[in-house]
Amino acid sequence: MNASFLLFALLNTGFIMLISPFFMSLIKKVKAYTQGRKGPSLLQSYFDLRKLMQKEVVYSPNSSGIMRITPYLNLGVLLVATLFVPVVFIPDTPAGIGNIIVFLYLLAIERFFTALCGLDAGSTFGGMGSSRLMSLSAVVEPTMVISFAALAYVLRTVNFHEMFAVTAGSTIPESPTLTLISISLFIIIIVETGRIPVDNPATHLELTMINEAMILEQSGKNLALIELAHAIKQTILMAVLINVLAPWGLATELTFASFMIACLFFLVKASMLAGLIGLFESSIAKMRLFRLPGFYMMAFFFSALTILMEVFA
Amino acid sequence: MLEALIYGAVIALISGTALPFLYRSKNARKASFSLSFISSILLLVFAGIVLYTGKEPVFPAFRFLPGLDFTLAADRLSAGFVLLIAVVVPGVSLYSVEYVEHAKGEARKDLQTALTNLFILAMLMVVLAGNMVGFLVFWEIMSLSSLMLVLHDYSSEESKKAGLFYFIMTSLSTAFLFMGFMSLFRLTGSAEFGQLDYPASLLTLPFLCLFTGFGIKAGLVPFHKWLPYAHPAAPSSISALMSGVMLKVAIYGFLRFLLSVSFPQLWWGTLILVMGSLSAVLGVIYALKESDIKRLLAYSSIENIGIIFMGIGLYLIFKLEGFEALAMLSLVGACFHAFNHALFKSLLFLCAGSVVHATGTRDIEAFGGLIKRMPHTAVLFLVGSVSIAALPPTNGFVSELMLFQAYFYSSALLDPLLKVLLIITLSVFALTSALAAALFVKVFGITFLALPRTKYAEEAAEATNPMLLGEAVPAALCIFSGLFSSRILVLLGFDLGIPDMLSLGLILGGACGLIWLAVRNSGPSESPRISKETWGCGMLGQNSTMEYSSAGFSEPLVVIFKKIYRTEISTTRTYSDTKESIFKSGTVRIHLIKFFEERLYLPAAYAVSLVSSQVSRMQNGKLDTYVLYVFIAVLTLMTFTRYYA
Repeated sequence: MNASFLLFALLNTGFIMLISPFFMSLIKKVKAYTQGRKGPSLLQSYFDLRKLMQKEVVYSPNSSGIMRITPYLNLGVLLVATLFVPVVFIPDTPAGIGNIIVFLYLLAIERFFTALCGLDAGSTFGGMGSSRLMSLSAVVEPTMVISFAALAYVLRTVNFHEMFAVTAGSTIPESPTLTLISISLFIIIIVETGRIPVDNPATHLELTMINEAMILEQSGKNLALIELAHAIKQTILMAVLINVLAPWGLATELTFASFMIACLFFLVKASMLAGLIGLFESSIAKMRLFRLPGFYMMAFFFSALTILMEVFA
Repeated sequence: MLEALIYGAVIALISGTALPFLYRSKNARKASFSLSFISSILLLVFAGIVLYTGKEPVFPAFRFLPGLDFTLAADRLSAGFVLLIAVVVPGVSLYSVEYVEHAKGEARKDLQTALTNLFILAMLMVVLAGNMVGFLVFWEIMSLSSLMLVLHDYSSEESKKAGLFYFIMTSLSTAFLFMGFMSLFRLTGSAEFGQLDYPASLLTLPFLCLFTGFGIKAGLVPFHKWLPYAHPAAPSSISALMSGVMLKVAIYGFLRFLLSVSFPQLWWGTLILVMGSLSAVLGVIYALKESDIKRLLAYSSIENIGIIFMGIGLYLIFKLEGFEALAMLSLVGACFHAFNHALFKSLLFLCAGSVVHATGTRDIEAFGGLIKRMPHTAVLFLVGSVSIAALPPTNGFVSELMLFQAYFYSSALLDPLLKVLLIITLSVFALTSALAAALFVKVFGITFLALPRTKYAEEAAEATNPMLLGEAVPAALCIFSGLFSSRILVLLGFDLGIPDMLSLGLILGGACGLIWLAVRNSGPSESPRISKETWGCGMLGQNSTMEYSSAGFSEPLVVIFKKIYRTEISTTRTYSDTKESIFKSGTVRIHLIKFFEERLYLPAAYAVSLVSSQVSRMQNGKLDTYVLYVFIAVLTLMTFTRYYA
């Protein structure tokens, strides 16, 4: 644990935390425009978080400690996960930070406890959500692992920091196969953040909902923590894709100028990606639950193809 | 020093076996379990010394026959498995002191106590056996003592069936081991375990026999069916030992053989990897459908055994392809997973035992809300669930991480076919790991959270302190061996470059603490916590029938994997008229096909009984007939030796 890393932790995590809610609103705005509405303000997510922080927490008498610790744990896990994905500069990495398998399983912690939370209050909605979440996440897991394995194959390391150090030095994607992986990574973002066609974040209709069903019983500052964690998750998954496909601006050494440039570049690139996600969501219909495995297979196919191309190239 | 430790442990276990028979009292049982506890401490020290120093002590013990000395020997491999025994036994013996008193009748209590000690002793001796004879002798003692423990409730139909099933499978396993060891003996002319410098073609038969034999005992698909029968029938402390340790003893035996082969072949590795993947994914898929908590844990053991075999298969493949570092990573990963599985599975079985005792049923559909009634058991079960679901920074994660890392680093592997195999097994492994997480969300959520579903669950009471203490030991070790995993492995000389879980755990804890500090004072100050009923779309009076059930929870996965859970729908219809156009009545039966049982075991059983019914004709109970048989046998042998030997 050195000074450079501490600085990185402060800057990187702080930056991601600060901008994450913005992208949530941005996607909503894009979706609203495509539907011919004006949509909420770009700062609406920040207002919502502030409002929730000031509200009292309501617990069901059926619920247990799981409901009470999960918001803290989820946000904690996601904050640790931000250390794995550098968006401003790449620090001297201490051992154990940046490993992509640890990263995947940090997301699994969040899933595990969110799903338990869904069962905790004894609500039918919560159970439905956690059952669906765990089932779908199990089916998507091979895709995620194969995509990350493909990344590791192409870039010859299992550490995000080292990977991005390789990609940051180049102006075009390091290898054409990385473009293929990007398609899988895009699908993973859609799945992991619960967006159409997998889940619909905008409704509270039991036929469609997964994520919203599990956090139905959460309220007040606990809900704020969970929402923030969700936004951070979306940002870091977007950051993985951006750093693989379009790593321009990511600094390998920290100066004030490079920091500002990296922040600005990331903001622009991530806004474009968020816009793309919004357009994607608007242009496709929610899929039937049991047709989703087929959708995942598409992402699986692209990643497996990458690995095979690397082998035979 | 080492001798004193081993003999001390053995003597403690022998006296632990004898005590309950000599003095039939509660105190004798307590003393007996204290002795097994003490022996495990001695073994812990022994294993620690051998693992750290790498000494290879040999203790001559006694002589079966001239030329067949039975020796005890240890090296780092066996010390690793002695360590595995030594970490599971303390929890089990603390737990059993109280648990064994719940058995019906004094005689059963004594028997269970004595046999537990004998069972531990036998497993220890198998691991320490210096040659094949000792190995097989203690292997049989291990099998028989566990069989008697499975049959402890011998009057119930279920136990009888489980016992018979287990007995047949374990005999089959021993038969294969016999064949394997005999063919090795013919090759080497010695019963010692030594380096096998033979070309692989000569070792094909021993390999197949030993793989099958150890595979049956370890519960590898398709030989896994005895596990879900035997585990629910056995007392929970014994399930913990069987699942935690006995399955690993089989792994030990297999590794002992495999590591001594100088020139293994690639197809061995491929076979092991494929069988391992199959066991892993089928084990967890069957577990998801199950609602009997102990049977479910048994299926989950099959899954974990599969993962261990996957590691072993990867080891062989990487070794033969010339990736020494990756081979080491996979092998240590497999062994570490065996160790971890011993810890968390014994923890889960012990907790399940407490729950079953408190509620009187094994069906998780009948549980619910137990976290309020058994808070300590719930927390301990959660630790086990988190470990087995491989969430960082627990130990279960570290061993899976090692295997994942071996896969991810294999980019330099050039053989395209092998690469395809690795991609397929890697995706199967990922699927298994995620399904295991889903499984344990289900088990923990349905058992402990929400409202109790039956009055048994409503009236459940917390387990007593010795039982909780027995569960706390493996729980603490799960967390400890997770956090310090990389340090311990480096200390033992395996610098594998895996991430440090201690720093990750500290950062995670720090992050959660900071968040708590930051938001502690936000929100309205006057009424920080209000309690309101769970939202039910405006309906008041929520009750347990509105909760998700175990079957409901796994329904999406059952639909997705419906090709694997095969169902057979049979319909019968009767009609009012002869032309079959007016429907009168009918029945529809949906039957879940137990694929392995109905398509593999039963046909084999029918074939065996067909043959034996023919053979039994030769038995007529008259002495002179048997003398004739003996005469024919002797004559045949003489002719045979005259012409062929």
